Amino acid sequence: MRVALDRLYLWSGYVSAAFLVAIALTIIAQIFGRFFAVAIDSTESAGFSLAASTFFGLAYTYRHNAHIRVTLLTRMGRGGVRRWLNVWAIALFLSVAAYLTYWSFDLVYFSYKFMNISPGLLAIPFWIPRSFMAIGALILSIALLDELVCVLRGQPSTFDADELNDQAPITLESNKTEVS
Amino acid sequence: MDAGAISAILFVLLLGLLASGLWVAPTLLAVGFIALEFFSPAPAGSLLASTVWDASWNWALTALPLFVWMGEILFRTRLSSDMFNGLAPWVARLPGGLLHVNIMGCGVMAAVAGSSAVTCATVGRMSMPELRKRGYDETLAIGTLAGSGTLGLLIPPSIMLIVYGVIAQQSISRLFIAGVVPGIMIIAIFMGYVMLRAKLNPALAPDPGERIGFWEKVKASRLLIPVLSLIFAVLGSIYGGYATPTEAATVGVLGALLLAFVTGSLTWESFGESIMGAVRTSCMIAFILAGAAFMSVAMGFTGVPRVLAGYVEAWQLSPLMLLALLTLLYIFLGCFLDGVSMMVLTASVVLPMVDHAGIDLLWFGIFTVIVVEMAQITPPVGFNLFVLQSMTGRDILQVTRAAMPFFFLMLLSIVIITLVPEIVTLPVSFMLSQG
Repeated sequence: MRVALDRLYLWSGYVSAAFLVAIALTIIAQIFGRFFAVAIDSTESAGFSLAASTFFGLAYTYRHNAHIRVTLLTRMGRGGVRRWLNVWAIALFLSVAAYLTYWSFDLVYFSYKFMNISPGLLAIPFWIPRSFMAIGALILSIALLDELVCVLRGQPSTFDADELNDQAPITLESNKTEVS
Repeated sequence: MDAGAISAILFVLLLGLLASGLWVAPTLLAVGFIALEFFSPAPAGSLLASTVWDASWNWALTALPLFVWMGEILFRTRLSSDMFNGLAPWVARLPGGLLHVNIMGCGVMAAVAGSSAVTCATVGRMSMPELRKRGYDETLAIGTLAGSGTLGLLIPPSIMLIVYGVIAQQSISRLFIAGVVPGIMIIAIFMGYVMLRAKLNPALAPDPGERIGFWEKVKASRLLIPVLSLIFAVLGSIYGGYATPTEAATVGVLGALLLAFVTGSLTWESFGESIMGAVRTSCMIAFILAGAAFMSVAMGFTGVPRVLAGYVEAWQLSPLMLLALLTLLYIFLGCFLDGVSMMVLTASVVLPMVDHAGIDLLWFGIFTVIVVEMAQITPPVGFNLFVLQSMTGRDILQVTRAAMPFFFLMLLSIVIITLVPEIVTLPVSFMLSQG
């Protein structure tokens, strides 16, 4: 079970990476198309790849503790207090993710039912890229449920383990710093 | 309930959720949900799905993962040592000597990488040990690195300007162009400060040693030619109007891969790491932006932004007063939050106010980014401080003290661009009349 779940997060990360490369490829196609006077419009293909990359990356990014949060106060908590603060934050994130998952599937269902078509040259049925959003949100919810169960059972959470490794400063490898 | 009370409740809720350790993106979604569910008649669930979806496949945002990826590739090359060896001969004889390598190196690095921590780390990795070895004043060395590292946010391609462009619906090409001159101006101010300090107290920087001939210098900096051509290709194609930012970013990724391949640092492993690194960073930012889009729509339904924008009028705040207040607000927020979160958290309320006060949103983008830069070097949460702390082994107080003068120099730059807004706007209008 543990192995299967970890593999799920890792592979959704790989799918996300593949879509990131797909953004570049579709733009390259557009640039070449311009040279040979072929109308290739990447607005939709790049946009859909971006959305897919984002949502498939959610669980993977979460497992690498790369989503941003304010730890100024929570870091002061020790032992039991800290554990319950973690339970609270994870449970809340899980409810948000689950809510998003539910309504994303709702959106997919209605775009399928009414056959919404994307407005550009590609004219893809909208339910296809939208289902990437729903599936990505679902995988994130699974990852959060997984984490919640682990923390409730008394195991350290992924981000706690990470914070113990490097006390105060954030190392570049952990990648959180790269936005700022 | 009146909008003032609603905005107070939502504000407290927002801060409370953040402080309790909830991640930024779900906080935005949760606050948006509560705003819709309790303070408006609109259906929260279906609005959530459709707004998040619309924000996620935004064309302007497609440049973001590509620029992040480009920085990740270059971060894994030999660029930092090339940068030091290539720049050192040119600046060695200026007052302050090799300290200028920190500033100019960050300027160059900022033009290929979109983030300040990468800029700071890439340049510092090589220059800090060298400066220490030659007996330069460490406080000034740390300070220059902390200050100029933040240029990564302003000099294009900049992740922060892309984020601003997306939330304020401003053209990213124009923002990129607007960022260049203020960026160069800040470099000049920093270099001037270092020269002044070194003139007043020669002990800060040791004697540079022998004179090097012009051609020797050119030869030493041939290593920088690939990077400079990459900058020229990426920015030039945007300025010339040949490419959209996304296309330029794709060219940048290809160029970075080529550069890594030629210098022998491209392996399957580093290639894989660079993509996965880009996935983590861009996924995190895109998720926050999707959350911000939802909160913004939700706020619109409650009418809060309109009411707050009205306050500006009611209190007869002049644009200058408003800007001064916002500067204080951002510096305060910067003590707890990172730049992206700060910008998106405030956008739904601040942008309508600023717009209402008649301030140009393009100019305001550059203004905000410089203020966010300042926030990067304010404790307790200043990401550049963390990077430098782990790099030099000094504690956060020493690093902060070293960075303080540069904080005030950036404040000075804000005053300058406020008094002379043409520094920001003129290059843009020039470019458009050409294009």
